[in-house]
Amino acid sequence: MKTQRILHGVSVLGLFLILFAACTKIDYTQIAEPAYLRVFNNINYVQTMGSKDDKVPYFCMLINPKTGADGKFTGAEIIGDFLDKRDPYAPPYPSHIGNSTSLSNPEYPGKENVLVGPVLNGFDLSSWAQIPSGEVRLVFAYRPKNTVPFFELEERLRNDILIDTVINLQSKEVYTLHLLQKDFVKKDHGILLRQENFHKLPLSDSLVYVNFYNMSAKGFWEADASLKDDDYKLASFKYGIKDEMNVYMSLYESQEELSHYAATVKGYRGKFMSTIRRNTSSDAVSPYASFPLWASNHANGIRTSIWERFDFFAPGMNPVTNPFYDSDRNTGSNWAVLNCLLNGKVGLTSNENGTLLPNLLVNVHSGKDNPRTFATVNTIEVVNGRVYLTTIQRKYAPPIY
Amino acid sequence: MNRNIKYKMSQMRFIGCFFVYLFISILQSCKHDNLTMPVPNENIRPAADFIHNNYEMRLFDAALQKTGMAVELNGAGPFTVLVPNDLAFNEIGIFRPTDFDKMNKDSLRRMIAYHILPRRLYLRDIPSNAVDFRYATFEGSELYASIGSIMPGATSPSNMLFFSGAKAIRKDVVLSNGVLHVLDKLMKPQFEKNIQEWLSDKKEYTVFVAGLKKFGLWDQLAAKGPFTVFAPTNEALEKKGITMSFLDSAVPQRYITEVLFGAYIMYDKHFFISDSQVFSIINSNGSYKYHLKDNIHYMEYFANEAYPTWKMSYYMKLRSNDTFYSIILADISYSVGAKMDYLCSNGVVHDLDQGLVSPDQVIKKEENEK
Repeated sequence: MKTQRILHGVSVLGLFLILFAACTKIDYTQIAEPAYLRVFNNINYVQTMGSKDDKVPYFCMLINPKTGADGKFTGAEIIGDFLDKRDPYAPPYPSHIGNSTSLSNPEYPGKENVLVGPVLNGFDLSSWAQIPSGEVRLVFAYRPKNTVPFFELEERLRNDILIDTVINLQSKEVYTLHLLQKDFVKKDHGILLRQENFHKLPLSDSLVYVNFYNMSAKGFWEADASLKDDDYKLASFKYGIKDEMNVYMSLYESQEELSHYAATVKGYRGKFMSTIRRNTSSDAVSPYASFPLWASNHANGIRTSIWERFDFFAPGMNPVTNPFYDSDRNTGSNWAVLNCLLNGKVGLTSNENGTLLPNLLVNVHSGKDNPRTFATVNTIEVVNGRVYLTTIQRKYAPPIY
Repeated sequence: MNRNIKYKMSQMRFIGCFFVYLFISILQSCKHDNLTMPVPNENIRPAADFIHNNYEMRLFDAALQKTGMAVELNGAGPFTVLVPNDLAFNEIGIFRPTDFDKMNKDSLRRMIAYHILPRRLYLRDIPSNAVDFRYATFEGSELYASIGSIMPGATSPSNMLFFSGAKAIRKDVVLSNGVLHVLDKLMKPQFEKNIQEWLSDKKEYTVFVAGLKKFGLWDQLAAKGPFTVFAPTNEALEKKGITMSFLDSAVPQRYITEVLFGAYIMYDKHFFISDSQVFSIINSNGSYKYHLKDNIHYMEYFANEAYPTWKMSYYMKLRSNDTFYSIILADISYSVGAKMDYLCSNGVVHDLDQGLVSPDQVIKKEENEK
C-alpha cells in the first residue's frame, strides 16, 4: 500500500516535470502596421577580364539604420545583407531557402528569415517581407563579396554607400523595389519603388496575366556593343531594345516540340499584347494583358502543354513584316525574342534568336493529377540586355486525391 | 500427453542448442587481431628548418639567413611561406648565396617578408574562382591571390593558383608552424613606388619615358590609376624607328598620340599576366578586347600557358579598327616570365621587347593629306 502511494507520487511528480519542461515562453515578433516589400538588385555584373577591376554591385540593404556618435552606421532596424544580382526567374515561393548553399541573396527577403506577407486576396505574399509602414530611411551600401556579415566587416569596408534615401510606404500595400542603373553613359544609379495592384484587380482564375516593363538604363541600346555583357545566352536581347517597343505573343501547342516552327494555338500567333516604353522613374503599374489558360484545343481542363514566345518589335515592324532572318541576333535593337518554356534552361533546337525563361504557367503535381496546370500572374522586366520573369502565385483549389 | 512432453523436450533442447551456438558465435566474433594505428608524424619541421633542408630552396634559404628571418620563421607562427624555387632566382640573375651580398639588406628583408603571410593559408581556404583576393603579408602590404578551379569538389580537381602573378607549382606543404607553397617566380612588389617613379629608375626604358613625356602621357602615370603598362625597351622602340633623335625632332600634333604611345597603356586595369589564364578557366574567355583612347584602334589582348613551351606568355594584337577586315598593325607575343608583373602602387608594369607601331603608321589623317 505504502509503496503504491510512493510510486503514485513519483509518477505524478514526473508528469509535472515533463509538462513544465515543455513550457517555454515564445515572443512572437510582430509588426503593427506592415507594408509588404520585395527588393530586386537589377544592377548586373559578370566575371570577365574586362570587368575585373570594376566595383561589384553586391550590397547590404539597411532600413532605418542607427548611426553612432561619429555618424557611421552601427546597426539597422532591418538588414538585408548579401544582396546579390537578381536571378532571371523569381519564383512564386522563396524556394531558394531550401536548395541553396550560398549566402548570396538574389532578392529580399529571399533567403532571409523574416516575417513575410500573408495570403492577400488570394495572392501568396510569402516572397514579400513585412516592413514598418510610413517614412523609412533606406540605404544600400556596397560590401565585399564574402561571407562576413556587414556589421562584422572592417570599418573601412562599410563606408561605400550607393543610395541613401527616404521612401514612404503605406500600410497593407504591396511594393516592389528595384535597384537600377539609370544612365548607362554617366553610370548613375537609383531606385524605383512600385506599388503593385494585382491584389486589388478582379483577375479571373482561368486567365494567365502578364505585364511588361523596360527598366533599361538611358543610352544602353545606343551604346557600343563592346560595352555590353558578352553572354551568348542573352541572344537577341544582348544589344538592348529601343525605348518604345510593341510586344507580340505566340502560344505554341507543345513543350515537347522545341522549335519556333512548331504548331501554335489557333488565334495566338503573333498576337499583340502591349506597348512598353523605357522607364526608370515612374512607379506606374503597367496594365496586365491576359490569355486563357485553356486556349489550346488539346487541353483537357487539367493540364495543358502550351508555352509562350514573346516578340518585341520597334514600332513599324510586326511579326508579319519582320525584315530579319530568324537567327539574327544583332537586329539594331529593333527585334528581340523571349521564349518561355519548361524550366527556362532548355533551348529550342531550331535556328532562332530567343533568350530563355521558364514557362509562365505552373505545371505541378496536385492530388491525383500529375502534372496539373495552374494560371499565374506574371511580370516580365527588361533591364539592359537581360530579361527577368517574376511569377506570383494565386491561391489554388485544394488537390483532389 | 507423453507425446506432448516429448515434443516440448525436443523443442527445449533445440532452443538450448541454438543459444549455445549463438553464444559461441558471439564469442568467435569478438576475436580480432591487434589493430595498428598510423602514428602521426612527429617530425614535421618548422618553416625555416624545412626550407634549410630542401635543395630546391637553397637561395631562398640563403636570403632568410642573410636577413635573419630564419629565426623568426622557426617561431610559433602560424605562417604561410611562398617560396620561389632556385630556378626562379636564377631567372632574375641570382645564382649563388653570395649574390645576395650585393643587395641592400633592408630592401631584401622587405621583399622576403612580402613572401610570408602571418596566417595558415591552405589552398582550400581561398574561395574558388576568386580573383585578386587580397591577403596581408608579413611586410604589412597586401598580395593578390587568384585561383581558377576546374571541377572544384571533384575527385581530381585542378586548381591554378597565383600569388601576385607568380604561379604556385607545389601547394599545401604542411609545416609544424604553418604551410608552404612553392612559386615558379618571385613576386615583385615595388611597394610605395608608382609606375612613374619605377619607369624613370630604369635605364632600359629611357626612350619610352622620353616619348611619354613628349606626347603628354607622362603626368597621368603618377595618378591613382590603376594602369597596366607594357613598357617597351629602347631596342624595341628603335626597331620601330623611335629613338631619342626622332623624339627631339618630332611634332606631337602630327601623330595619333593615343596609339603611338597610348597603345602601351591599359587604363583602369590592374592585370597580372596570369589573370588571363585564370579567367580562361573561370569563364572560358581570358581575352580582353578594347578600343584605344582614340576610339578607333582596337587591341586584342590575352595570355596563357601554351604549347610547346607551356610558359606563361602574353599576346597583343593591334588592329586599325574593330571590323573583321581591319589592318593588323602589330601582333606580338612575349614570354619572359621573370620580367612580368612588377607590382607598383598604382598598377602593374610588364616588360616588352617589341614595339607596337612605328610613327609613320599613326600619322593623323589631316596631316597625311597635307
